[in-house]
Amino acid sequence: MSNLIAIFFGMALVNNMVLVKFLGLCPFFGVSKKLKSALSMGIAVLLVMVVASVVTWPIFHFLLVPYNVEFMRTVIFILVIASLVQIIEMTIKRTNLTLYNALGIYLPLITTNCAVLGITFINIDQAYTFPESIIAALGAGAGFTLVLIIMSGIRERLDMADPPLAFKGTPIAFITAMLLGLCFLAFGGIIG
Amino acid sequence: MSTQTVLSVGLLTLIGFVAGTVIFLASKFLPKEDKSLEEAARIREFLPGADCGACGYPGCFAYAQAVAKDRQVFVNHPCPTLAQDKEGMHRLEDYLGLKAKNKVGKKAVVHCTGKSEALADYKGINTCQGAAQVASGYKECPYGCLGLGDCVTVCPTGAISINNERKVAIVDWETCIGCGLCVSACPQNLIELMPANMPQYLGCNYRAARDIVGRKRCPDGCIHCKICVKVSQEGEVTWDETKDLPSFDKEYCLTATAAIEKCPRHIIKKTAAYREMSTISD
Repeated sequence: MSNLIAIFFGMALVNNMVLVKFLGLCPFFGVSKKLKSALSMGIAVLLVMVVASVVTWPIFHFLLVPYNVEFMRTVIFILVIASLVQIIEMTIKRTNLTLYNALGIYLPLITTNCAVLGITFINIDQAYTFPESIIAALGAGAGFTLVLIIMSGIRERLDMADPPLAFKGTPIAFITAMLLGLCFLAFGGIIG
Repeated sequence: MSTQTVLSVGLLTLIGFVAGTVIFLASKFLPKEDKSLEEAARIREFLPGADCGACGYPGCFAYAQAVAKDRQVFVNHPCPTLAQDKEGMHRLEDYLGLKAKNKVGKKAVVHCTGKSEALADYKGINTCQGAAQVASGYKECPYGCLGLGDCVTVCPTGAISINNERKVAIVDWETCIGCGLCVSACPQNLIELMPANMPQYLGCNYRAARDIVGRKRCPDGCIHCKICVKVSQEGEVTWDETKDLPSFDKEYCLTATAAIEKCPRHIIKKTAAYREMSTISD
């Protein structure tokens, strides 16, 4: 149990997807302008990460390893995740329109987001068991959402700030991201 | 061919096939899409597609969705941009089988004639926003149009042009869609949306009534003599106490012929909707 908790917080904070592993940087800058859309995007990524981990772990361990074709994992994982996101999007669109309006438009964006693909690879590289990999995906998704929310909160305030003209908009966001990254490095000292 | 090659190709094909089948089954057996979405997509075809937001919804598709859900939205709040285009409006009305209320659109007017002399040569950041921050503009009149075209930049249809001689923005009512983007872009708050059948507007925004010096600042400036109110018999001109300027009846859009003639500064300007009323007075 303590092992699972360590994995969750390790993935969320110490090995944060965005600020430590530098995965999923495009949504980090693209969808972090408004708090509301950042939250929707974060939840969508969290959802897709968990589902992707649930599906790719058995595929790797029960299909690729027995036939000794582990090198195929990249192409097969992309294929599986892409079709999975399609199905999720279709289901949400046809069953719950309100949820679709909140989350749906972000789903095609993260079809093969590197953070989603990344977590499936990390699960395998770290030799996590099935429950461990689900917890790892949850942690990674939570960490991603957390960073997106923090960033969007800062950027909403940055809009009202008065930086030099050349820094307005994205440049000052890059600098903010750097400082945020430094903050997250400090988590490295807390949980080994 | 090694077995490994065969295996990997086979596995990829198999997984691709399974994924395709599952998507096919999902699209077949899941409940159909909410009908209002398809309907909204069809309604959107009739809309201008400028995403100007004048209707109060974020973009044309959001408006189409609202109309698809409740047709009364169209009746009570017809798309103000489409209202400028009679044929387009008729096409959407025919499609929905409904008549829209209050089809008079809105048009922007600039409350300035630009006659105020320049005090200095402005060479700073070439926007009105920038010029307005330097001692409230470079013109004698601190309320006047700066003519640097912030409104021109935001106008989605190119309806605003700048008269370079007088440094003033002029709205072409033929192309103006009444979206109101220029209203918020103007740092001097000179632009106002008027009903499209409003026959006249005031070409001045000089509000400081008690400031007598103000009269000298612009040959066209309102001197707050209220003669326009006195000569108007049907209440077509009233005095707006908060602005301290004449205002025109926006509900019936009466033509204030007498006031236009009597104004000593000739700043009650005729709009494109002005019609001669001589036949009635005879």
